[in-house]
Amino acid sequence: MNISLGPTLVDQGGRRPRALPQDTATDGHDGAGRIEMTDVAIAFGDKTRQSSDVVTDIDLTIEPGQFAVLIGPSGCGKSTLLNAAAGFVRPSRGTVAVDGRVVNRPTSSVGIVFQNFALFPWFSALGNVEFPLKQLSLSRAERRDRAIAALTEVGLGAHLRKYPGQLSGGMKQRVAIARTLVLSPEVLLMDEPFGALDAQTRLSMQALLLSLWDRRRSTVLFVTHDVDEALILADVVYVMSAAPGRIIRRIDVDTPRPRAVDRLDQAFLDRRAHIIGLLRQQHVTDIT
Amino acid sequence: MRSLAVRVRNLVVPLVAIVAVWQLASSIAIVNPVLFPSPAKVLLAAIDMFRSGVLLKDLLVSLRRAAAGFVVGASLGVTLGLLTSRVRLFSIGLSPLFNLLRPIPAIALVPIAVVWFGIGEESKYFVIAYTVFLAVWLNTHHGMEHVPDTYIRAARSLGASRSLEFLQVVVPASAPHIFAGLRFGAALAFLSLVAAELTGASSGIGYRLDEARQYILVDRMFVGLIELGVLGATLDTLFVWLGRRLIHWEQA
Repeated sequence: MNISLGPTLVDQGGRRPRALPQDTATDGHDGAGRIEMTDVAIAFGDKTRQSSDVVTDIDLTIEPGQFAVLIGPSGCGKSTLLNAAAGFVRPSRGTVAVDGRVVNRPTSSVGIVFQNFALFPWFSALGNVEFPLKQLSLSRAERRDRAIAALTEVGLGAHLRKYPGQLSGGMKQRVAIARTLVLSPEVLLMDEPFGALDAQTRLSMQALLLSLWDRRRSTVLFVTHDVDEALILADVVYVMSAAPGRIIRRIDVDTPRPRAVDRLDQAFLDRRAHIIGLLRQQHVTDIT
Repeated sequence: MRSLAVRVRNLVVPLVAIVAVWQLASSIAIVNPVLFPSPAKVLLAAIDMFRSGVLLKDLLVSLRRAAAGFVVGASLGVTLGLLTSRVRLFSIGLSPLFNLLRPIPAIALVPIAVVWFGIGEESKYFVIAYTVFLAVWLNTHHGMEHVPDTYIRAARSLGASRSLEFLQVVVPASAPHIFAGLRFGAALAFLSLVAAELTGASSGIGYRLDEARQYILVDRMFVGLIELGVLGATLDTLFVWLGRRLIHWEQA
């Protein structure tokens, strides 16, 4: 049994004990972590002035435990949509809900991993992972043990005392993932998390992420502009149009895991050509 | 250890060279020895002042004034900086006033400080604390307002309460700015110290400078200037050293 991430984390409001992550690992889902976006539009700029939508007409449901990838041309608002799911921005129309509760501010049951890591440079790796645990009524030793376990799980057991400034990009992202997962969120949002990493590191991070997800089966919403990354990771890929971003295609990826770019089958290649075609079309309409 | 030796060498060698050039210039009488005394003469004046006790007494008096003014000004600066950056009411009420006061040089405050507090210690404390306060306030306020949004977002999505967010995210994130303000404030403390001591004082390095001026004792004035230089540089080095330990992550 995996004691590292704690069996009954209570979320911030202390509303209910959360299900064991490992309970869900066997059958897939426990019914928690459903993301529903209903007729969502997000506009920037204040309400009095004319503001244009960044994304519009977004209707999507991501099932508990599903690994969903949002892909689209740059500037299509995919990160904005993710920020709405995180509670950082509010939709100007429609609702974003997680397990039926409308998301209107950040909560610890929806975790997020950023492209720029967003680690606190004044804390060591261990300090960063301990940070979210300070909200819980844990003893110091318990808190420390859990943080150490989470860092060990992402392969950083030997670097607990290092500060972010002393870690490579891949290691920083491992710390950030451990810091988010230590609270066992039902939903994990990832905003181009491997975009700043080199190709080699990116592949190992994808493998790490899939193994972590496989153990927890939390819902993942992952933003990328890399088609191969999308196809390696996703159960389902949502392709977005150029701004104002809409979802123009949903593509189910049923290729069994583990998948790898060097073992491509025809279905993989077809899907890849399909997505690249869709994105290219967006690009063309964008400039004409 | 070797790096310490190198650092000492890099400090001492140029200084010795400068003093040598200075001595040479005085010996071959390029400069008027009354207006620009030789290093030997300045050293003699320093020994003389040390023997009579004024050197140490002035040093201690000035240091105490600078320290007291700095502590008062810096604590107020940090406290009000926290308030104006985090509490809207304080920001609206006080920021315009502080921004209006900032361009007023410390020396312009001396006459009014003397009128308000007399020529005693209080007027010096006031001038120094005031100058330090504005520098520290500005840096604190600015640093707190510019905490990167990603830190705040990360903290909130991790479920941090507002107090945890403030104490363990906002404060450390703005610590480099606050510390830069304190360092700048320390330098300003000396600046305004001398301004306050040049008029309406009966002791201190600034007073001694003014006294020497009246008797045209340039060698004694040089002693005062060198004192101020050494004191300021030492203090700044101390701040840099302290900053490296406290805000270790900024170097990385």
